[in-house]
Amino acid sequence: MNLLIAVPFVVPLLGAAATLLLRRAPRAQQVASAVTLAVVIADSTLLLAATADGTVVASQAGGWAAPLGITLVVDPLAALLLLVSSVVLLIVLLYAIGQDISGLSRAVPQVFHPIYLVLTAGVCLSFLSGDLFNLFVGFEIMLTASYALITQAPTRARVRASMIYTVVGLTSSIFFLTGIALVYALTGTVNLADVAEKLGAAPAGLRMVLALLFLVVFGIKAAIVPMHFWLPDSYPVAITRISAIFAALLTKVAVYAIIRTQTLLFGRDDVSTVMMWIAIATMVIGILGALVQDDINRIMSFALVSHIGFMVFGLALNSVAGIAGVLVYLVHHIVVQATLFLVNGLIRQYVGHTSLRSIRGLTVVSPLLAIFFFLPALSLAGLPPMSGFVAKVALFQAGVQAGGWLIYLGLTAGVLTSLFTLMAIFRVWARAFWGTPLPDMLEARAELRRGPDFVGRRLMAATTGTMVGVGLLVAAAAGPLTDIAFTAARDLLDGRAYIEAVLPEGAP
Amino acid sequence: MNIDGERQRESRGPEGSGGAPPEGWEAPRERWLSTVVRPAFGPRSVLLEVAARLLIPAILVLSVFLLVSGHDKPGGGFAGGLVASMAYVLRYVAGGRHELAAGMPTRPERVLALGMLVACGTAVLPLLFGAPLLKTFSYEAALPVFGDVKFASFLVFEIGVFLIVVGLVLSVVSALGARMEAEEEEAKAGRERARRLRRTGGGPR
Repeated sequence: MNLLIAVPFVVPLLGAAATLLLRRAPRAQQVASAVTLAVVIADSTLLLAATADGTVVASQAGGWAAPLGITLVVDPLAALLLLVSSVVLLIVLLYAIGQDISGLSRAVPQVFHPIYLVLTAGVCLSFLSGDLFNLFVGFEIMLTASYALITQAPTRARVRASMIYTVVGLTSSIFFLTGIALVYALTGTVNLADVAEKLGAAPAGLRMVLALLFLVVFGIKAAIVPMHFWLPDSYPVAITRISAIFAALLTKVAVYAIIRTQTLLFGRDDVSTVMMWIAIATMVIGILGALVQDDINRIMSFALVSHIGFMVFGLALNSVAGIAGVLVYLVHHIVVQATLFLVNGLIRQYVGHTSLRSIRGLTVVSPLLAIFFFLPALSLAGLPPMSGFVAKVALFQAGVQAGGWLIYLGLTAGVLTSLFTLMAIFRVWARAFWGTPLPDMLEARAELRRGPDFVGRRLMAATTGTMVGVGLLVAAAAGPLTDIAFTAARDLLDGRAYIEAVLPEGAP
Repeated sequence: MNIDGERQRESRGPEGSGGAPPEGWEAPRERWLSTVVRPAFGPRSVLLEVAARLLIPAILVLSVFLLVSGHDKPGGGFAGGLVASMAYVLRYVAGGRHELAAGMPTRPERVLALGMLVACGTAVLPLLFGAPLLKTFSYEAALPVFGDVKFASFLVFEIGVFLIVVGLVLSVVSALGARMEAEEEEAKAGRERARRLRRTGGGPR
């Protein structure tokens, strides 16, 4: 078990070192990174199988018992997110490889693979870490890698976007470190389980301040309103593979951190009013932003912000059903966002940009592309029988169970947001996909078909198709997924299993 | 032109440093470092070169001391790596990018990758024997000259960290310092060519 827990972040680091050494051999580098991620997927599957019944397993690095040493913990939530993230990471990597083979992208330097694997290690370490400081380290590994990734193939717009992104990221890191220092000052430990035991004795006011501080820290990274402004300015400008992985994973890692801290450290039984208002604001403001944008990537970025609101809504309920809904929503959203950004990358092949002003008739240019866009888009809006529908039903059911005027207000906002999402999507559909294609788009298609880079383009289309398929699979496997989500949610709200796994002999 | 100017013309490297002002009195007359090419950012200084020549071995020895003593005293791979990379930075400051290139055993990202392999490898190795991640094993032995010596497997991990830090600092120096210097030299050479063309009346009318 020690080995299984260590693999998801040690193997990507080893892979990063190997791909750095293989810089002169692009093909070997591509194989090495794909194999690395495949190993992580296999390992996460084993971890999920081991924890699906609600078991929590802790591994103490160096043999130093918690709370002294570095603790790695895997519970159903961590295992589920590890599996979904690694699958998405591998598919996006294959898409990137296809793009590199096809020669369609501007030359992306060979450091892409090492940095991408370091990002993977950071994401996995964040999910696994059992103490606040390692959570910070995981976040920093992930963020530092993302600072480097966002400026790949630099243009003026990308450098500008990366400035905003880096400054915002560093700001949240400073708050994070401050929060850790305060927690340490209050409890004398940073081990999550130990902190959870000792925070109970702390004054309610202090607990409230710390809870809000951590909400702000992770809220900046999760782009909840009013800390969302940076996201639509930075994600859409990066190259496709990178905006896809950022949109799919980085905000969700922050949502994971919110879930972990707000349940384990600052757990409560009643509905959190602050978070409910944040959820409502995030949902509504995000989607209103999406409605007035003219660029598909920017529309998707605003939709991303608004749908983070759904997760905060479920979290605010503080009930097993609510948190289970959040977990199903997380899985659905990771997959759907990655798919949509990959599709936007395919659109860029034909027109070179994603602005709605000069895209017409994509259904004629490429019917397959239209299907690839349509299915995840409907899922995002939450139409049955897609995964988005399953996730939203789970959340709304949890909301109705809880009752109360604020929750009904939140539910109304949720339904309105879904409708507005549908509206935003149909705006894209009507303007970009319907109509007669512009002549230069047909020319671009003819040129692409003549091009010698057929294999690469096939791989890009195939990986996007696989991603769409994974989205459908999430809907098809909704039953088992909901079961795991409920198990994980019970574990999270109870907290006993987690604490006992980390501190078998009780807190010192 | 004084004797230093003459020397500078002789010692011009492959890239040259055309158009630069003549070396001042502080330029070295003997060879202290392994290259004699003038850096683009200014004249060489004998004071700096002698100091670099004398200090670098001492700095490197200190870095190894920090690395080894780090097990239970202040120091360790990170501190040792920083000190060791300072030796290279000093060499770069004294002699420019050619001096840096002459002193580097291999490309910096190789050092970085090697360090990462060593560090992660030693972190994972105990797992294969059923021990937890990063578990340290230590051995004590009485050697003839050194007396009682304690060796902890953690040292290998620290060596990995050491290599990572050295590789990282060298990457930064060669990306931020040396590459900018190369670009500046190129621009200067371009300006010089343009001036020569104008003077000889060549080029397009």
